[in-house]
Amino acid sequence: MNGWVGRCLRVNLTEGRHTVEELNPALLETFLGGRGLGITVFSHEVSPETEPLSPENKLVFSSGPLVGTGAVTGASCNVITMSSLTGTIACAKMRGHFGAEMKYAGFDMIIVEGKAETPVILSISNDTVRIIPALEYWGRQTSETEDMFKKSLDNQWAARETFLVSIGPAGERQLPMATIINDRFLAVGGAGIGAVMGSKNLKAIAVKGQHSLEVADGDRFVQVVNTLINKLNSAPLTSQSMTQWGTAFLVGLCYQKGILPKNNFQQSSVSLKNISTDALENAFALRSRGCFACPIACIKKTDMKHHAYEGRGMVPTYLAIGSLGANCGISNLSAIGMANMLCADMGLDPVAVGGTVATLMELVEKKIATAEELKIDLRFGNENAVLDTLRLIATKKGHAQRLGPGAKAIAESYERPDVFMGVKGLPLAPFDPRAIQGMGLHFATCNYGPHHLYGYTFIDELLNVHEDSDPSGIEGKPALTKRYQDITAVMDSLGLCNWPLMGLKFKNFVPMVNSCLGTHYTADDLLLIGERIWNAERLFNMKAGLNASDDILPKRFTDEPIADGPGEGQVSRVNEMLPEYYRERGWDEHGKPLPETVKNLGLED
Amino acid sequence: MPRIKIDHVKCTGCRHCETACSLNHVANTANPRRSRIRVMRDGNRYYPVISGPFVDAACTSKQLIEIEGQHYDMCAFCRASCPEKPYFIEAETGIPLKCDFCGIPPSPSCVRWCNTGALELVED
Repeated sequence: MNGWVGRCLRVNLTEGRHTVEELNPALLETFLGGRGLGITVFSHEVSPETEPLSPENKLVFSSGPLVGTGAVTGASCNVITMSSLTGTIACAKMRGHFGAEMKYAGFDMIIVEGKAETPVILSISNDTVRIIPALEYWGRQTSETEDMFKKSLDNQWAARETFLVSIGPAGERQLPMATIINDRFLAVGGAGIGAVMGSKNLKAIAVKGQHSLEVADGDRFVQVVNTLINKLNSAPLTSQSMTQWGTAFLVGLCYQKGILPKNNFQQSSVSLKNISTDALENAFALRSRGCFACPIACIKKTDMKHHAYEGRGMVPTYLAIGSLGANCGISNLSAIGMANMLCADMGLDPVAVGGTVATLMELVEKKIATAEELKIDLRFGNENAVLDTLRLIATKKGHAQRLGPGAKAIAESYERPDVFMGVKGLPLAPFDPRAIQGMGLHFATCNYGPHHLYGYTFIDELLNVHEDSDPSGIEGKPALTKRYQDITAVMDSLGLCNWPLMGLKFKNFVPMVNSCLGTHYTADDLLLIGERIWNAERLFNMKAGLNASDDILPKRFTDEPIADGPGEGQVSRVNEMLPEYYRERGWDEHGKPLPETVKNLGLED
Repeated sequence: MPRIKIDHVKCTGCRHCETACSLNHVANTANPRRSRIRVMRDGNRYYPVISGPFVDAACTSKQLIEIEGQHYDMCAFCRASCPEKPYFIEAETGIPLKCDFCGIPPSPSCVRWCNTGALELVED
């Protein structure tokens, strides 16, 4: 097979055995692989009524067909399961090297089911699959786990080629905001997935492989990749901003448009001086680190210029600066970097945990919760309190016990659900939807909860890469949001990272896909696959009990105008856009896909 | 004579050079283990290493290298493949591999795909 390996590894932890299965070629054609294939397999095998933390839930690791072939930015492995935070289907994007190594080990997909009696590590080396007892790893941070596992291998050269995904203490204790950590990178959008892995007593998965991947037309493929690299080099965002600062360069731009939130979305004017790209360069020695086959290398290593943080973790991305920083009132990059590193070590999702802390901070500010009662001074801007909380949150001890269940539960326990700034149980990614309307619509409708990395509308709304789109206007936004949601879905399924869209058009990828897979897709064919995936996820969520009433933004965004800053006076007009969005998608007024839409996409049961 | 200059500080560890090499040498095949360049990893650092000769004798020159107070394993950037370090031995056939500059310039395929400038073709 070209691109695909065509095999799937199924591991049953209850019985401690594994089987190797062939993938269905018809499904590969209609869902490609990665996210699409993972969603289909998952929704066929797991009932939407399943309790997320029960042994009946499954964990699907699914690499796209372009991963590991040398396709530009082909590194993405998706993890699909039912999230314990949102109760929806969840799909985390894991980049780094794990996905490629999984394919070299001979598997497109790994399905983990059941529950081990005691902690285990799943080790895959070519065709040898072993389930190793891992009691001594339990309770360890993710970086320790990785070091320990590599030391335990007798061949140091094999250890260098082994890549690991693991959960930290947060995942072991099944915290709903736990994510999984891949090769010391965070898995984005993974809130709740770490808890599922923890509930299976699975501490880590290690892979290493030496099988070959085939591409259909090697000469053409190499040519196309050359062209794409050159194109990325001639685009300013991918060749300069992203390479130099990673996504952190968005901080300044978002601030200028009033999109960067402060203090749990109550204000928008932060002191930019301390978190701008200049400050980033002063706080860290930036060294680029690339995911597999990525010419951009947007991930930055931190050789922090501070004795306490020397050489560990990664430089905070936009997500971390926004969620753990500005939205908690913190504007000290060293503290944000430390918080981000703690998240990676503990296995916490920065968006979910940042939103949780910010929610509690607002309750303290409004004098609903008090410092005496919490035994910690969680005011906006108190960086030490945030760092203490992050260290303790995974232990479920002391004051941190209160934070364990997540932002929504905290707000509800104080009978103030209005201070929870999130949709479907997940706190909002740091984009104020009042100042960027298309993103607001995406936040309301996204199948996984409000995460900007499942619909890159800001590429047009904020960066104006492909078309000039005014962030405050609503004209054409439903179509724009739909388009980006579909593009993201299909690129995740192919195994491509979505950031190159800052320099390339979606249609630029099509020749690479075809020369690699030996197919004859057009850009529209691929977008249709994206639409099919989006609808399949929607249908699963609806069976799990979600409906149009879950497609709403918190009242603060629709009723209270932004108080200050460049976006002052704006509110989100998501309710005006929703009917048109539903029409664009071919859904009825309650957000349910119409029978003919389902039929056209081939999604009937 | 042209040679490939390696600047490991610029290497991001993306391993695009590995796939480039295997695609160029084995028809329609991507597999880092069949590549004549490998990115060695030592903690937080990456060292692209281009395959040199195969030696089947035990190594007598191995030392621990000290740079700015840090100790490095010499094997991590040694170009030779040996029984101790099974790199650059083709996974499927067991034949030792050696860099051939991809025949003739414009430039070897790994250099063409290295976007950060860690690999560079220079004349001296």
